[in-house]
Amino acid sequence: MSKPFLITLSFLLILSCSSGVPVADIDSNFQQANQLFQDKEYAQAISSYQNILDKGTESAPLYFNLGNAYFKDGDLGRAILYYLKAQRLDPSDNDITANLEFARQFTSIQMEGVKLNPISTFFESLVGPYRLNTLAWLSSFFFILFFILLSLRYGFGFKNGPLRVGTTVVLILLLVSSWMTSFKYRHDYLTQRAVIVAEECPVYSGPYEQSDIELEAAPGLVVEILAESGEYYNVLFENKRRGWIKKDLIAAI
Amino acid sequence: MKVKLFIIFIILNLSVSLVRAQDEVGISVRLDRDTIGLDEQAVLEVVLSGTDQNLPAPQLPTLPMFEVYSQGRSSNISIVNGQINSSISYRYMLLPSKSGVFPIDNISVVYKNKRYKGEPVELTVLDRGVATSPQLEDSAVDTGGKSRDYFLQAVVDKKNPYVGEQVTLTLKFYIAVRYYGQPELQEPSTTGFWTEVLGNSTPYFQKLNNRQYKVIERKYALFPTQTGELTVGQAIITTSVASQTRRRRDPFGLDLDDFFGRGEEVTIRSNPVSLNVKPLPTEGRPADFTGTIGNFGIVATPDKTSVEVNQPVTVTIKINGTGNIKSVAEPIIPDLSDFRIYKASSNEKTAILGEEMGGTKIYEEVFIPRKPGSLEIPSLGFNFFDPKSSRYRTLKTKPITINVRQAEGYAVSPDVPYGQSGVVIGKDATDIRFIKTDIGELTPQGRLVILTPLYLFVNGLFVAVFAGLLVWRLRREKLSGDIGYARSRQASKMAHKRLARARSLVRVDKAGKFYAEISLALLAYIADKLNISPHGLTSDRVVELLQEKKADESLVRDTVNLLRQCDFARFAPASVKQADIDRALEEARQIMVKMEGVRFV
Repeated sequence: MSKPFLITLSFLLILSCSSGVPVADIDSNFQQANQLFQDKEYAQAISSYQNILDKGTESAPLYFNLGNAYFKDGDLGRAILYYLKAQRLDPSDNDITANLEFARQFTSIQMEGVKLNPISTFFESLVGPYRLNTLAWLSSFFFILFFILLSLRYGFGFKNGPLRVGTTVVLILLLVSSWMTSFKYRHDYLTQRAVIVAEECPVYSGPYEQSDIELEAAPGLVVEILAESGEYYNVLFENKRRGWIKKDLIAAI
Repeated sequence: MKVKLFIIFIILNLSVSLVRAQDEVGISVRLDRDTIGLDEQAVLEVVLSGTDQNLPAPQLPTLPMFEVYSQGRSSNISIVNGQINSSISYRYMLLPSKSGVFPIDNISVVYKNKRYKGEPVELTVLDRGVATSPQLEDSAVDTGGKSRDYFLQAVVDKKNPYVGEQVTLTLKFYIAVRYYGQPELQEPSTTGFWTEVLGNSTPYFQKLNNRQYKVIERKYALFPTQTGELTVGQAIITTSVASQTRRRRDPFGLDLDDFFGRGEEVTIRSNPVSLNVKPLPTEGRPADFTGTIGNFGIVATPDKTSVEVNQPVTVTIKINGTGNIKSVAEPIIPDLSDFRIYKASSNEKTAILGEEMGGTKIYEEVFIPRKPGSLEIPSLGFNFFDPKSSRYRTLKTKPITINVRQAEGYAVSPDVPYGQSGVVIGKDATDIRFIKTDIGELTPQGRLVILTPLYLFVNGLFVAVFAGLLVWRLRREKLSGDIGYARSRQASKMAHKRLARARSLVRVDKAGKFYAEISLALLAYIADKLNISPHGLTSDRVVELLQEKKADESLVRDTVNLLRQCDFARFAPASVKQADIDRALEEARQIMVKMEGVRFV
């Protein structure tokens, strides 16, 4: 391999791995914030956790602890928001799921009449426990394996039964894993979801102050953002009701 | 045992007959107008309603003062909560033969041995048509004093309405001549009004100036949205009528225009109508009046009256009546310390009640009790202006008492800020799980592996490697493949050339040269076919190669024999006879023909 090629490769590796902030520094800030939480100084703990986030890094435990601090501080909407952020980074963590469920019991309106699509529910449960990054690397692994097998077959001219069967199996695994990756990506990132954080949140029939109030939403409810117009988002509630909400009353996950 | 069964049987039977006895038949009697002229007619409508779909026809009393014609029946079946409701409407046309006031009583229906009687109605018949006011008769005459064939009238029921009060506009299309097709209507302009079409009535006939007119009515509900002088614009009807002036008749006296349905296209305009809209009176106006105009009723019903703390109670507030339902404002709900209140939904349904617009507006409010006990949702106030009585009215709902229980389950830890009034939850957790002490894997915010250069590079690298390999392999195969293919294609052509040269030497004196040529042709042919170099190719090597390529054994033997013969003859040409030369040439040709059929891979 040529020298410029190796330099490029190592540069890319460094670029993708480094976060640019000294880890030790962040960790001590994190421990300080935890101490504030234990001292029940929740408002201060919140600002300490937020300071770490402001440095441009994130982690599931960081969001989880921030969610806990908001919960104890009485801000149910933001508590649920950060639990959801934490869950997206680490869907397999039991503590995050438990606290999210616990907090959701306090949302004053439980969404009723939710009709879930059984097929998408099944797919969601299929990809639910995995992180997007895990799925991405898994499909990358099958992708590379598939191309190695293709290279053996077409590049070097190896021809035998097991190789053909192996290529087919790897191709199927590749298709399944990349489909799961794209489903997860669409579900978690392309679908813009938000949590209602304001204590009072009127939902209008149109993107104007003069529009009729359709209903009042409670903090902690999760909505999907469908469109925006001026100062308003068109949102879809989990029970499939729609309406317009002022942008500053909700926070995107 | 038998006696017991018998008793049960009787009870069951009784209960069935009791249920049966409950399904009553409703009968309502209605006249389309209560006053008509002698030369007009009224339509009597009898509507029977009940749960049975096979209701008998109503019995009409003898009406000696009228000619009665049945106009048929229409039925309507609706299913509400599994309950079938059917209503059948019978229509009769009444043509009076005498003027006077005639009560129509004793319209009844007999159902299941019971007689149901309708309310009595009264019909007044005047000597001359009621609607035939001198004004109307005037409009039936044009400026030249001639009777009009058709005209369009716009009439309002009141000229002096309140703002927001319903004004009924009636368009009456009078036509005394035959017309073709459906008359086309251009609706009147109603700027300054909120307009709703009430619909068309069934056409009837009316006599004006001794001429029979067909009358088609269309009604609108207009709600003035501003005060002062307002005008309802002209309505225009375009239709094609039988021409009175130019009537073509064929020699046999048939009316061709009638026969082919042609006529004269005419445009008929209505008169504009001016209204003077009054503002609402200031006297007696409630402080919280929101501008609702009409006549309404209000009912509030909770979906349940006994709940646990923090369980929602949905209160449905239903406002219905006549008036502009869109103007109905939400009832004012006071702040209640015992409940958290959320607005859940609202919807409205407009309806036409006779000639009046009305409808229903439903608000759903969610009340979530904060503490246990007997809590009261106080009466909700709702006010509106009733234009009929020119008064403001305020209605109140009945207060709702809700019995709130303390829920069973785990009480939430006092550390949870939402549990002020002892919120109880069903899970076995009383508080959130504690914070994590390890910050875990830190990543830049929003970074997704699938979008990083590393990910794209790693995956792209293998595609590139594969593509490179493929290109390399294909190029190699193409090169080697092409030369071999070209040579094998050229082989027989070259060999035939050589054989042709050999043929020119088929003479004993040139035997040496002849055999050299034959040998060369054969070896070159084989070399080309096998894509190898012909140099240094010996007969032994040829045998080896042919056997390696699995050529036919006899072919190999013949080839080797011929080559040996050639070698022998080249070095001892004197012993060669002419017959040998001819045979060798023939043999060489046959070997090539045979070899042509063999595929050397």
